[in-house]
Amino acid sequence: MSGMPVTTVKQSPCPSARSSFTRGLKLGLPIFLGYMPVGMAFGILAKTQGFDALQAVVCSATAIAGAGQFIGLSLMHAGESMVGVILATTVVNLRYVLFGATLSSHLGSTPLLGQAALAFSVTDETFGVNIDDHRRGLANAYSMAGVGAISWLGWVLGTALGATAAGFIGDPYRFGVAFAMPAMFTALLVAQAEDRRHIIMAIVAGVLAIAFALLLPGKWYIVATAITASAIGAVIYR
Amino acid sequence: MKSEYVWAVIIGMAIANYAVRFMPMALLSRIELPKPLLRFLSFIPVTVMSALTVGEILRPDGRWLAPLSNPYLFAAIPTAFVYYKWRSFLGTTIAGILFFLVFRALVG
Repeated sequence: MSGMPVTTVKQSPCPSARSSFTRGLKLGLPIFLGYMPVGMAFGILAKTQGFDALQAVVCSATAIAGAGQFIGLSLMHAGESMVGVILATTVVNLRYVLFGATLSSHLGSTPLLGQAALAFSVTDETFGVNIDDHRRGLANAYSMAGVGAISWLGWVLGTALGATAAGFIGDPYRFGVAFAMPAMFTALLVAQAEDRRHIIMAIVAGVLAIAFALLLPGKWYIVATAITASAIGAVIYR
Repeated sequence: MKSEYVWAVIIGMAIANYAVRFMPMALLSRIELPKPLLRFLSFIPVTVMSALTVGEILRPDGRWLAPLSNPYLFAAIPTAFVYYKWRSFLGTTIAGILFFLVFRALVG
């Protein structure tokens, strides 16, 4: 759950597909703005680590994997095998299984083809906004498509800007973009620590993450931490 | 990096990430999940984010930094406060980068 500040957008009692979609675009605007700088950071880093601009943009446009893409970059840079990179980026995004599962229960009336289209844009942030919107009884497949579309655009546009401007900008670290992703993660963490049990779980996970990062190679501490800490949470909070 | 390698990874990432998003949506909308599993899944977002944040801040680029000379750690504290107070991802990202630049000049 992301806790993204959501503008309440008024709508008529029986919204048309188009007005729902437009409402979704407006709801997703903060995500667009949030994705732009991180997408730029990805574009710049991808460029400095051996991608060309087209590859960076296509990667963002088709994977929309956020942290997974950054992890993929660092593993590729370390010479990891193709299967290893794909596996790692996917495992990091296994939480999308939860998002997909949760959203599915609200998409009963949406045909399979519509679900297939919506699944494409599932991220932490779109999930947060859509679930929040759903709690108000407003979300439908079209509004979710609007949220997804504007978010996708921000991510891809940011990547394109970063990838094409990387040549002019030079060393991105000079501008502190190395902190763009940690800043976004910090904000998402604060957003998700919404009540006492989530704050406690965040602390448990933080301690476990240090231990696992010392024990395990590469980025595997993320998955190890999430599975262990969530299991602890599931046992404690019956 | 070889171009074929990069393209192969991009295609693989696209397929794998889509499968992870769509398969549960398509399959689980027809099944009732057991309560303990739902509880387990409900903690995945917060624990993943906590692990990512801790890793990225204490061990940027895979190298552990000493706490007192770690600009990531110092910058994360006001960054968290900015999000808590103003709830803006864009504002928080920009503010975080500025905090980072300041602390990198001071302690990095």
